[in-house]
Amino acid sequence: MHEFSITKALVDLCNAEAEKNKLSKIYKIHLKVGKFTGFSPDSISFYFEHLKTDTKCQDADIIFDEVPIRIKCTSCGNENTIEEPILVCPDCGKMSIEVITGREFFVASIEGD
Amino acid sequence: MKKINVLKPVLVSNKQRAQENRKIFDNMGSLVINIIASPGAGKTSVIEKIARYFKKTLNLLIIEGDIRGQVDSKRLAKLGVDVVQINTLTACHLDAFMTAQVLPQIKKKYDLILVENVGNLVCPAEFEIGEDYKLAILSTPEGDDKPLKYPLLFHLARVVIINKSDLLPFVDFSNETAKNNIRRENSKAKIFEVSAKTGDGFDDLYLFLEKELNEKKKKGKNKG
Repeated sequence: MHEFSITKALVDLCNAEAEKNKLSKIYKIHLKVGKFTGFSPDSISFYFEHLKTDTKCQDADIIFDEVPIRIKCTSCGNENTIEEPILVCPDCGKMSIEVITGREFFVASIEGD
Repeated sequence: MKKINVLKPVLVSNKQRAQENRKIFDNMGSLVINIIASPGAGKTSVIEKIARYFKKTLNLLIIEGDIRGQVDSKRLAKLGVDVVQINTLTACHLDAFMTAQVLPQIKKKYDLILVENVGNLVCPAEFEIGEDYKLAILSTPEGDDKPLKYPLLFHLARVVIINKSDLLPFVDFSNETAKNNIRRENSKAKIFEVSAKTGDGFDDLYLFLEKELNEKKKKGKNKG
């Protein structure tokens, strides 16, 4: 349900960036979404269809770029990509983990005229 | 067609507002704790215990977040502490802007501000409000697997309270498994096992909060 608020924030941010860069229409929004966030691309798309109406995003599609969860073990130093956010080192089993990627949620770029 | 590199977090405006809120809270010297849990985990009961313990020795404010109504704020006001209500109406979480809206109602310097977020383990985790840190509550009837099912909150929470320890004989919940699951998301989380019903386990929590309050005061003094 919080995807409503964040999709609203997404549309506002893209409209503001378009305004700043003198674009009247946006066609593509490149969105990075880490897999260790609470954001679901499906729900974002769902709300986007409604929220983009009558804005510069009206004709835009979102291109989702999912960022995997990459962790570094501060004990053995190894880096691994994990599917599920369970922060245990797959190599040494220690739980002293730094999350390197997976928490991203940002607009990488927009395309338009 | 032109391509513009944006490279800005979607929640950039929430983040900026949260930083402004934090600055305001820091200037007041307030320790601000964002309390997040599912509906019925015992957020209000835990807050009541903390409020009862600290209300005589320090200035305490509770910011109460609910979708609708003032049930909890009325309950908490009976303790004789200051309570400010935020009704989110449709939103399933508090955000930095809703928090900013009640700042004008905060008329004095509070030592401790407890923010009771909307009951939900998912959404509130992603929205900073200007807090010092998040405190998650997990109650024993919910099951010891919840940290793995709602990993983000447990990853981000500095403190995790396991509440309703008095129900342990009646529910399928292992403290050891729960703690291990919390550690698998957050090896640094400070974990307390309590019962808001019987009061068990609260002494350790009070000691911890006293230390935190002193640290925050020291920080404020060094700044000023």
